[in-house]
Amino acid sequence: MRTVLVVCTFAGGLMAADPRAVSMHPFTGQRGGVFHAAVRGNNLKDAKAVWVESGPVRMTVEGAGPEVIPEGMPKPRVMLDVVQVRVETAANVKPGRYSFRMVTPSGVSNALALQITDAPVLAEPEGQHETPETAVAIVEAPVIYTGKIGWRGESDYYAFDAKAGETMTFQVLSGLPSIGAPGGNANGFDPSIAIYEASGSWFDAKRLNRIAFNDEPLWVLGRLTDAYLVHTFAKAGRYYLRVEAFSGQGGQDYGYQFKMMPGNVPQDLPAGKADWEERSYTRALRATRLNELAARGGKKQDQKPVETYRAMGKFALPATLEGVIAAPGEAHRAQFHVDGPQDIAIEVETPGIGPPLFNPVVRVLDAKGDEVVTNFFAGRGACTGALNKGLTAKTIYPLRNPGDYTVEVRELTADNGEAGFRYRVQVRPQVPHLGAVRIEEDHINLGPGGAKTVRVSFDREENYRGAVAVAVENLPEGVSVLAAADYEPDKDPPMNPGKRERYVPRTERTVLAFSVAEGAPLMELPKVMRVIVRPLVDGKPGVTIASKQIPMMVVAKP
Amino acid sequence: MKLAWLLVAAGLFGAPKVVKLETVPASADLRGPKAGQQFLAVATYADGSQADVTGSVKWAVSNPALAGLSTTARLTALGDGAVVVAAELEGVKARSAVKISGSREARPFQFARDIESILTKRGCNSAACHGGVKGRGGLKLSANALYPKEDYEWVVKGGTYQVLTAEVKGERLPRVSVNDPEKSLLLTKPLMMVAHGGGKRMERESEDYGVLLEWVRNGAPYGVEGQKTAKLAALEIYPPMATMAEGGAHRLLVTARFSDGHTEDFTNQVLFSSNNTDVATVTVDGIVKAKALGETSILIRSAGQVASAGVGVIGPAPAQYPSVARANFIDDHIFAKLKKFHIVPSELATDAEFLRRVCLDLTGTLPPPERVREFAALRDPKKREKVVDALIGSPEFIDYWTFRFSDIFRVAIFANGLTPKFSQKYWEWIRANVATNRPYDEVARERLSAQGYGAASRHFIPYNQIGPPADVMAEEVRVFFGRRLDCAQCHNHPYENWSQDQFWGMAAFFGRLFKAGPVVFDHPANMDWSSKDVDGKIEVLHPRTKAPVKPALLDASALALKDDGNPRKELAKWMTAHPYFAEASVNRIWGYFFARGIVDPVDDFRSTNPPTHPELLAELASDFQRSGYDLRRLMKTIVMSRTYQLSHRTNATNQSDVVNYSHTLSRAIDGEVLLDAVVAVTGVPETFSTAVNEGGAVGQAPANTRAINLKDPDMYFSRFLELYGRPNRGAIPERTGKPNLGQALHMLAGATYVDRLSAPYSRLRALLDRGASDAAIIEEFYVAALGRPADKEELAEIGRLVAERGDREAALREFVWALISSREFAENH
Repeated sequence: MRTVLVVCTFAGGLMAADPRAVSMHPFTGQRGGVFHAAVRGNNLKDAKAVWVESGPVRMTVEGAGPEVIPEGMPKPRVMLDVVQVRVETAANVKPGRYSFRMVTPSGVSNALALQITDAPVLAEPEGQHETPETAVAIVEAPVIYTGKIGWRGESDYYAFDAKAGETMTFQVLSGLPSIGAPGGNANGFDPSIAIYEASGSWFDAKRLNRIAFNDEPLWVLGRLTDAYLVHTFAKAGRYYLRVEAFSGQGGQDYGYQFKMMPGNVPQDLPAGKADWEERSYTRALRATRLNELAARGGKKQDQKPVETYRAMGKFALPATLEGVIAAPGEAHRAQFHVDGPQDIAIEVETPGIGPPLFNPVVRVLDAKGDEVVTNFFAGRGACTGALNKGLTAKTIYPLRNPGDYTVEVRELTADNGEAGFRYRVQVRPQVPHLGAVRIEEDHINLGPGGAKTVRVSFDREENYRGAVAVAVENLPEGVSVLAAADYEPDKDPPMNPGKRERYVPRTERTVLAFSVAEGAPLMELPKVMRVIVRPLVDGKPGVTIASKQIPMMVVAKP
Repeated sequence: MKLAWLLVAAGLFGAPKVVKLETVPASADLRGPKAGQQFLAVATYADGSQADVTGSVKWAVSNPALAGLSTTARLTALGDGAVVVAAELEGVKARSAVKISGSREARPFQFARDIESILTKRGCNSAACHGGVKGRGGLKLSANALYPKEDYEWVVKGGTYQVLTAEVKGERLPRVSVNDPEKSLLLTKPLMMVAHGGGKRMERESEDYGVLLEWVRNGAPYGVEGQKTAKLAALEIYPPMATMAEGGAHRLLVTARFSDGHTEDFTNQVLFSSNNTDVATVTVDGIVKAKALGETSILIRSAGQVASAGVGVIGPAPAQYPSVARANFIDDHIFAKLKKFHIVPSELATDAEFLRRVCLDLTGTLPPPERVREFAALRDPKKREKVVDALIGSPEFIDYWTFRFSDIFRVAIFANGLTPKFSQKYWEWIRANVATNRPYDEVARERLSAQGYGAASRHFIPYNQIGPPADVMAEEVRVFFGRRLDCAQCHNHPYENWSQDQFWGMAAFFGRLFKAGPVVFDHPANMDWSSKDVDGKIEVLHPRTKAPVKPALLDASALALKDDGNPRKELAKWMTAHPYFAEASVNRIWGYFFARGIVDPVDDFRSTNPPTHPELLAELASDFQRSGYDLRRLMKTIVMSRTYQLSHRTNATNQSDVVNYSHTLSRAIDGEVLLDAVVAVTGVPETFSTAVNEGGAVGQAPANTRAINLKDPDMYFSRFLELYGRPNRGAIPERTGKPNLGQALHMLAGATYVDRLSAPYSRLRALLDRGASDAAIIEEFYVAALGRPADKEELAEIGRLVAERGDREAALREFVWALISSREFAENH
């Protein structure tokens, strides 16, 4: 294993003809079984292998070539390649999502997801299912279907019977995540589902009438857009479930997995991000928070534990205030005292319902009741100078005056409040540390003599001033990496940026410059290298704060 | 003199015998010095008609020492006591009792009352004159004497008004000269002794001139503050609706009602003007003269108040007015007025006419042929009510009224946060409200006060920004109050009693509205939440005075904001409890069924645009309120009235009527409904694709989606809908239904019409494949498109054309084209 420490700067070029996998259909199979699927994408016509990142799953290429457009069908703007693959899973594979990549003579592609289930998987029968008469009949649940919204405006009907009082869960996973979803894109597939009954009308005795539907109750960038619906049927009868794309998109990449289960079954959600989430409302603010932060700053973990208080009365720093905004208009207040200047950090966690439904506003007031600081970031836009505001999960502030202070917690709106509006607000001394780290590369394909730069950016939290080391391990033979210090041109500042320093960490970035020797051996399969970020403590690398595995290939014609 | 002859002529010549005489008012209570009362004499004739005979009767007063009576029947108090005013015509007598008190008391002078009433009556403070936005000729007066204090300053101190600032511009030149009163501009200008753009406004001998001169001689005081005396609360007009034949005349009587309950005759203190001088004119004394058949309003302005009276110039009475059956209270009001106007309502619509009309109006959907035939065959006397119940309970009703309210409430991507996720969420909220028939006041309250991430709040973030408070408030007032306050944003409303202060007081309710990400919220009363970090303040400033404005309701009552409350909830509560809400709501719904509102346009209530049937509007509003703001019940009441069910075929008396609902007015079907109708008749569905025609993101509505069910219409490209007036919902839509050349060209060559005719799967194709005869095909299409069978002549003529064409299929395609291009098809009647 070679490890390279990076300390200076370099720049590199972009790859041409990089293989890109767009979709696989079907993308779901039962464990212990075999199924065949088609992977569509760019520059895949010479695909020779499928590289599964983990798990006892075997995927092999059965054939590849340019997409064939049937006679009479409109030619798409961009022609894709199609790779036929065989997917074989072991009987003991754990159900869930697995990542795979296509391997071509030009290198390795981006990753796609494969779903393995423990239930039988049926394919949507051939033909159209756009009417109740042509609906796919479901005989029993649980059942999983793989289907496709093959053209824009298409919808698929599934017919089933339900008993009075019966509860069922319906879920549709998209094979092409849409914008907003993790890994999604603007042309993605956001599935929508609705349940209909054939109750007819005065105008049309056969009319289907919608009785329930799903779209995401929340729509915020970064959230999943898959469809999920739990419904209890009031009366026995024949019902229809319709699957369609939210805005009527469709095409050969618009594959989906439809699951129907008896009872109320929780939604299948992808595993949470493993990365450090400094400023998310969902990260746990534990009693050991100060030590966790100290570790990221290369300090000894001998910090005080954080006591927990109910958000009333008095407390001492460091503390976590817990409470519930159970009714509209509630405001909770608790007091603390500082004897001298104290740089504090205020962090907010919403263990139950979170933004945009519960939006905790935290204010610190001085002894006179005047607002000292809030978790509201206010700024004026660069274009119009309009006042913009946003709530943040973390605020830092230097308290300069000794005395009594009050922490107030309320919901942003005066109308909302309920038992699920739980908050945890941690008020503590600042602990300088390394925050989130971003390594902006998914995979690297290079030819002999080629070079590429990869940006690594990191946040300095709470005035962290230590040096940061970036290392790369497990480089392929003939590949080297150089130091980098990136140049970032100055941007026009916003008209009035507000007190950004309270709400936004200082971000720095460095660059890794990868280069391949002329005589480097060509690779058949990718090798996973590891980029590691650590604080420097007394000139020596401290504990690993962040790392990312990046598949890399040295190929003849990238 | 001429007028006297005119009145005599109107009252006597050709008129039947007088059977009753009334003096108006029947009694009067005159208080204070120089108190007066104008009297009218109204005769009722043997045929039931009435006429103003004030100039024809013989007047007398019981005690001339206490009161004098002029030749024009104006009584003036001379001493305290009781007198009787008597009138006689053709031996028929009438009398009014008058009580006089305080005739010798001194009344405190009040600028707001004594001077402003003259300025109003003489038109000085009208919008076209000094009451305009900037005033005129260097003198600014508030329109209709809305701000007496400010008017006093401008008159007494002078100076030029500025719209955007409260500062006075230029040298201050007083309009009164206390040292030389007769040289005051306030007096010399209206006499045209010096140049005056407004021309001569009074005579030197007039009483008004004397009052003004006396005021200046007394030092031009402001007098008693308005608040210390009873305020003028309303003007009452007699008669509220005057009808007369062409050439006839009628005097109007104006009574002022004050805040302490007492009344005064204001007939000689107001400014009269006619809304349509082709129909009727009005003299400065309030005598209306009928000029041509029609209906109009006379506007009456006094200082601070505006009112109107209806005038109907009617044709000859029918020889025998028929007895017309009524179905509900709507008919009582409509038919009473029609009778008064000598208009006979049309016959009841045929079953076919009714069914097509009610299906389109309640559901935006043509009745299927089998339902048309079934309905025609039914002998059940309750069949109309039963079908109305079926339609109101149908899913198509939900589709259609979701579409309707999506228009008013503006469901559109650009209007709802720039994402279809939000606009569709908002659409679903509207649909759920329609589907559950949620009380409309609840719907309004939620929309007005929505906070957080909820669906109703999505309309507060057009372009993903909170709209300016003024725009947001004006839209809500227009939607739920049916009133357009917009003019008052920049200046006092020139034609109405809406002040700039009132406008901004209302706007301030939305002044603390903000957004954080997708969440809409109001800043609590005393918290600006980090605004000071960027030198900001959460406040609404008065554009002219630059002073922070506090939320205040239209009635000027300010509202104290709380830190833990939503200020807009209070506003919503007040608005939905206000009479404006119910009357604006019923008027809007009425407008959908009759192609015009009782006040029309439906969201333009103002004193200068009075309702055609004020009592009906009031009763509908009251009924709506009592029903718990039940929209379905309101709609059923409307469509079950005989008025709604009248035929569109006219008779000799109602051909020219367009405002009194004597027959159903044919009106263009809205584009979306028409497109769905074309699809239904031809049997060929429409494809709706998103307008962006490249990339994988292009979308398409699912097969068989109806135009009225498009959640985000602005997302879908449709030449047809563009041509037929689909609004983009960038503002509250105003559909006109007016035809245009583009529509005609589209009928001739557009895909909506032409491509459908040769579609492989269609109603025509199915009939041809089934071997249907020409007559059967013609019959089927007639019933599908027009809701009626073809008559014998139509059947014979079309059959002949098909036979002569040579190519049967081509001929039948042309027949279908002609049918769906016809006016009868494109209109609801």
